Amino acid sequence: MYVELKNINKSFGDFKASDNVSFEIEKGTLVGLLGPSGSGKTTILRMIAGLETPDSGDIIINGKRVNDVPAGKRGIGFVFQNYALFRYMTVYDNIAFGLTVQKVDKRKIDKRVNELIELIGLKGLEKRYPSQLSGGQRQRVAFARALAPNPQLLLLDEPFAAIDAKVRQELRTWLKDMIQKLGVTSIFVTHDQDEAIEVADTIIITNKGKIEQVGTPREIYTLPKTAFSCSFFGNASYLNNYEKFLSFDKIEGVEKAIVRPEFIKITKKDEFQKYVASVSEGVVEQVMFRGDTTEVIVRVNDSVIVAKRGLDEPTIDVGEKVNVFIYRIFVTVGDNAYLLENKNLNESSVVI
Amino acid sequence: MDNDKKGNPIVKWLLIALSFIFVVLFLVLPLVTVITQSLRSGFETYKKAVTDSYTVKATVLTIEATVSAVAFNTIFGIFAAWLITKFKFKGKKFLTALIDVPVTISPVIAGLIFLLTFGRQSVIYPYLQSMGLKIVFAVPGVVLATIFVTFPFISRELIPVLETQGTDEEEAAALMGAKGFTIFRRITFPHIKWAFLYGIVLCTARAMGEFGAVSVLSGHLRGKTNTLPLHVEILFNEFQYVPAFAVSSILVMMAVIVLAIRSILEYRGKKAE
Repeated sequence: MYVELKNINKSFGDFKASDNVSFEIEKGTLVGLLGPSGSGKTTILRMIAGLETPDSGDIIINGKRVNDVPAGKRGIGFVFQNYALFRYMTVYDNIAFGLTVQKVDKRKIDKRVNELIELIGLKGLEKRYPSQLSGGQRQRVAFARALAPNPQLLLLDEPFAAIDAKVRQELRTWLKDMIQKLGVTSIFVTHDQDEAIEVADTIIITNKGKIEQVGTPREIYTLPKTAFSCSFFGNASYLNNYEKFLSFDKIEGVEKAIVRPEFIKITKKDEFQKYVASVSEGVVEQVMFRGDTTEVIVRVNDSVIVAKRGLDEPTIDVGEKVNVFIYRIFVTVGDNAYLLENKNLNESSVVI
Repeated sequence: MDNDKKGNPIVKWLLIALSFIFVVLFLVLPLVTVITQSLRSGFETYKKAVTDSYTVKATVLTIEATVSAVAFNTIFGIFAAWLITKFKFKGKKFLTALIDVPVTISPVIAGLIFLLTFGRQSVIYPYLQSMGLKIVFAVPGVVLATIFVTFPFISRELIPVLETQGTDEEEAAALMGAKGFTIFRRITFPHIKWAFLYGIVLCTARAMGEFGAVSVLSGHLRGKTNTLPLHVEILFNEFQYVPAFAVSSILVMMAVIVLAIRSILEYRGKKAE
């Protein structure tokens, strides 16, 4: 394991930012620390970097306990949320800074900086100051600055938060490609599920200072293990009484039943529905055009749920009575989550 | 509609006129008076007043006190501003308020406080005497009083600038292995330098002109503990008006030189950026 956190605790006054946090990260992976704001993800990142000290527990990087190693000696590259570029230095000097303080030979610095400027595609802008760059360009400079001293570990705090939506999409792909190309172990913090799913190899979900679940984006999305991870992804709606929906196993002590839009099939009364035996009738409350899909809000069995319909399907009107079929439901018992499949799905496939 | 954006021209001219009247009435007119009055009896009298040995000594002492105050308060100001903006600790608000004390209390009172603290009545007076330190009615007292009244000038200029800057850039530099002094020199200082320069100018101007606290502590010993403002007062009280104005003009010139240096530095610095 390249980075290891063992039983880390950290409090700020009464606020418990890290509550017995432990996880491991393999060399060369791109890890996303995902959680709502205040969940302690940035604190974890700052402790790994050495900008905060844990109250207890061990931080191990490359087999060495680094708790007492000062931030500047850990060999870590850090990209700050607002980039923290040195505003009184040019792009060139910003990128060169780390090597300059290490007193590296001038020619070597020049070679490395030019190489990085080429890599981030900002050739010709070396003499600009950060204030003369766009948000996306600043992020690239921050990235290059962090990489210049060849860190073994790259940490990124909300790297895309300050960039507008269109450029963000482009930068995500760019960053993922870059990191893969360089093979540097990286951890980034984000509160955006889509971002984590799209960019990370492994996602670590944090909530209230605790680690909820660790896994690949696919595992986390399709098999959430805790109540929190269930509700955090997708546009989740809650079912007030899931027992009323047909063909699901009944489980003792269910607290919440959660469905995501892709678990639901809404059909008009005159449309073909293969599993017509286990549909419930619902009333459409709202229809919203979302560009690539239509979002339909339906009241069914006393619950209000969000579903989606393709643009090629016949349109649905507000107030219309529709058939609602649910493929699967996440149910939570205490802190654990289980997936219930609609039994009708299996029976039908047997028939065919 | 255009007026909404650019402001009403009447208001603009009214404000310009008002500012102009104030500047002429309170700044230009007195300055002109100082110069004309000092030259009233011809250049020879002026030269005599300015080169008088007491005047020269007062000028030297004023420069000494000013340089000490600026040097001390520069160091203190940077440390205090750094401490207050970059660290969290108990009693920070109290310390911030304490730094402002010298500008909020009357300089005469400040002088009296020092007189009582270091004078004959004080408990520490015997120790000071055994160490051979004479503060009250001596040059150290003058320097001390000057330092005291100009205490917050530099830190007060630096604190707001350092506060808006935050600690991110310093953290970034520290993460890359930069040491404290390198961080200050390459990251923090470029950011604060104009505020810093302005603080020095304010501190210098205030130190040169300090009267109240110095007046109490100096004992008005001509040629020993007299600074320029005290010397002006003595001359004035002795009905020597022309010499009084002549000595005042030295202070005016010193102020003009300080302002000129500042403007030149700023102009060059801004152009280089």
